[in-house]
Amino acid sequence: MSNKIIRTAELDPNFKFEVTAHESARDLNYCFACGSCSAGCPIHEVFPDYNPRKLAKMIKLGLRKEVLSSDYIWYCATCRTCEQRCPQKVSFFNVLNVLKNIAAKEGYAPTAWVEQTKQVMQTGIVFPIEETCVKKREQLSLPSLKGEGKKAKKLIETTGLDEIESRG
Amino acid sequence: MSDRKEEKRIGVILCHCGKNIAGGVDIESLHKAVEKMEGVVFIAENRFSCSEEGQATIQQLIKENKLNRFIVAACDPTLHLATFQRCGEKAGLNPAFMDLIDIRKWTMHGSPVKVDSKQALENSKELIKRAVKRIRLKRIIPKIAVKTEPSVLIIGGGIAGVEASLELADKGYKVFLVERLPTIGGKMALLYKIFPTNDCAPCILAPKTAYANAHANITPLTNSEVMEVQGYIGNFRVKILQKPRYIEEKKCTGCGICIEKCPSKAPNEYAAGMGERKAIYIPYPQAIPLKAIIDAEHCLYFQKNVCRICEKVCPTGAIDFEQKPKMIELKVGAIIVATGFEEYDPSEKTEYGYGRYGNVITQFQLARLLDIDGPTKGKLLRPTDGKEPKSIAMIQCVGSRDESTNPYCSGVCCMYALKHIQIIKEMVLPTAEIYFCHIDVRAVGKGYEEYYRRTRGLGVVFLHGRPSEIIENPETRNLILKVEDPDIGERTELEADLVVLSCAMVPPHGTKQLSELLHIELDENGFYKEVHPKLQPVETSARGIYICGCAQWPKDIPHAIVQAKAAASCVDSELRKGEIKLPEFIVKTGKNKLRG
Repeated sequence: MSNKIIRTAELDPNFKFEVTAHESARDLNYCFACGSCSAGCPIHEVFPDYNPRKLAKMIKLGLRKEVLSSDYIWYCATCRTCEQRCPQKVSFFNVLNVLKNIAAKEGYAPTAWVEQTKQVMQTGIVFPIEETCVKKREQLSLPSLKGEGKKAKKLIETTGLDEIESRG
Repeated sequence: MSDRKEEKRIGVILCHCGKNIAGGVDIESLHKAVEKMEGVVFIAENRFSCSEEGQATIQQLIKENKLNRFIVAACDPTLHLATFQRCGEKAGLNPAFMDLIDIRKWTMHGSPVKVDSKQALENSKELIKRAVKRIRLKRIIPKIAVKTEPSVLIIGGGIAGVEASLELADKGYKVFLVERLPTIGGKMALLYKIFPTNDCAPCILAPKTAYANAHANITPLTNSEVMEVQGYIGNFRVKILQKPRYIEEKKCTGCGICIEKCPSKAPNEYAAGMGERKAIYIPYPQAIPLKAIIDAEHCLYFQKNVCRICEKVCPTGAIDFEQKPKMIELKVGAIIVATGFEEYDPSEKTEYGYGRYGNVITQFQLARLLDIDGPTKGKLLRPTDGKEPKSIAMIQCVGSRDESTNPYCSGVCCMYALKHIQIIKEMVLPTAEIYFCHIDVRAVGKGYEEYYRRTRGLGVVFLHGRPSEIIENPETRNLILKVEDPDIGERTELEADLVVLSCAMVPPHGTKQLSELLHIELDENGFYKEVHPKLQPVETSARGIYICGCAQWPKDIPHAIVQAKAAASCVDSELRKGEIKLPEFIVKTGKNKLRG
């Protein structure tokens, strides 16, 4: 989403096929840019720069690097309103999943996302548990919260998530 | 018959159809395979069999090789069988012994059953093998002459049905024009004005409907429905149920005194669900015939056995509560189906809140509001509070271009919305701000683009975005549309006093039942299916039954008129000689033989 001139010679015309090769994102090429997705999107409401209609057009144009390195593809709250309102049955939610997978494989994953994965591997917990919370649980004689780091690590290693590098 | 004993000399020609066939199948292998088939004495190839040169070659081959059976392996028989039968006849071959089989469907670009070249070869071999077997068993089918009735049944009294009636009645055919409602004129009568001329719709319709009503050759059967259809081209037997008006049509003068005095009210279907009418009513001032009708469901006499005021006040004694439904039996030579369309019911698109939000209406309702004879006498007032709206938003493509409802484009919604904008801006409420939310503007037709330009000049906001949803402000009953404007690239929250939905045209209720009565097909969207969308747009799979107007597909008035005239011309071509030749049907069961 830069301000420079888009030159067709620098575009990747295969990008749209790379995305639509995935069954769940297949219908993206049917998009006629009516904007129902953007109009209903709650994230677009908060971050106007996050714009599904614009992203769809960028994919179709072949702005591969710009799309994959963009922060916006990680913004989706997965409410799937776009998918429900789309008259051409494009599942933009699934398009974003495909984009995130490609981006992660190519080293475009956001740093925070990768760091969090590392933490889960070590502790088995997404968010660190605070001392006060632990004490309160003891008072209420609730079982203590222990992350199962080993199990989480095994799971993450099986899926290959551990190999993903952040864009640094 | 003599043809049974003669030696069968079968010839096959493989057509390349340019690259349509030759590009998708190995013709050489196919040639070799066909050569080996039993009974095939001659095989040749041709680049374009249907060309003049190709046909001359076929005739020459038949004569030179003394062939008495011939198979062309090329395209669809509905396209070219008649061509090759005529070609064979010139070489002395009876049409029964000339066959065309479709091998092109396996290979041609765009064919829904296209397969790879290996499969295409197998399929083609199999089809030719079967055709060779079949042609050996064929006999000459005699043709018999059948007398045809010089009369036509036209189902649907809208502009298409009326136009077809007039066209045929002027040619001398007896026309029975059946209409489900109490008046002919259809939807056009309720549109107030029509694009692109902004003519008054009833004004230009009335000369046609009035002429049809008075025409010596036309019998309008209003308030009637087709119940049964039997027979075939030239000799259809039809049963029509005429429901009672409870009025003696000959005596009623349409004076309206009964309507004035009637105490019972009912929702007015001619005001798109927004106004009221009496239980005895005349649909609208230009109704044809201009005769009152009693709606038994709301009449106090029929419901509670009281009242009968209309009977007392009628100056000509036209009220007849004793009328019963009448079954009319007709013999007609041909049938034209002109059943039109219905507006899509947008209440299933819950995000737009139609039916839930009082100030969300459809374009058809807007047409009734703008009409001088409509429920508000031509004033544009909001349904909830009767106030003039300051801002109006129109949403295009509601129930069309939408994979979850109707995938097709109705083709006229852009134009009728532009028409309503012009009426509002130029006549009714020039101060109103109008937002036109569209995906694309489709103004294709003579004078249509100019009409679009004229509308732009009125200072309307054309917003290239399809709203995602509408939220109602419960206090003001105003509507907030969530829409994205790509031209500025900003999210827009559009507040409007009135929202108008431009809904798709869909097949009217009862279409499926009628298609079953007539034994004609429907397409994937529920409209009547034509034989060929380009070349035979008004013919159906049943000979003698034709379709025109919106019964075939959503269209504007000029196209409906063109189709009506085309359907009338088809009927005339079939019936004008008074008899037609049909192939005789022979059914054999054991030793018994039935001819017909």
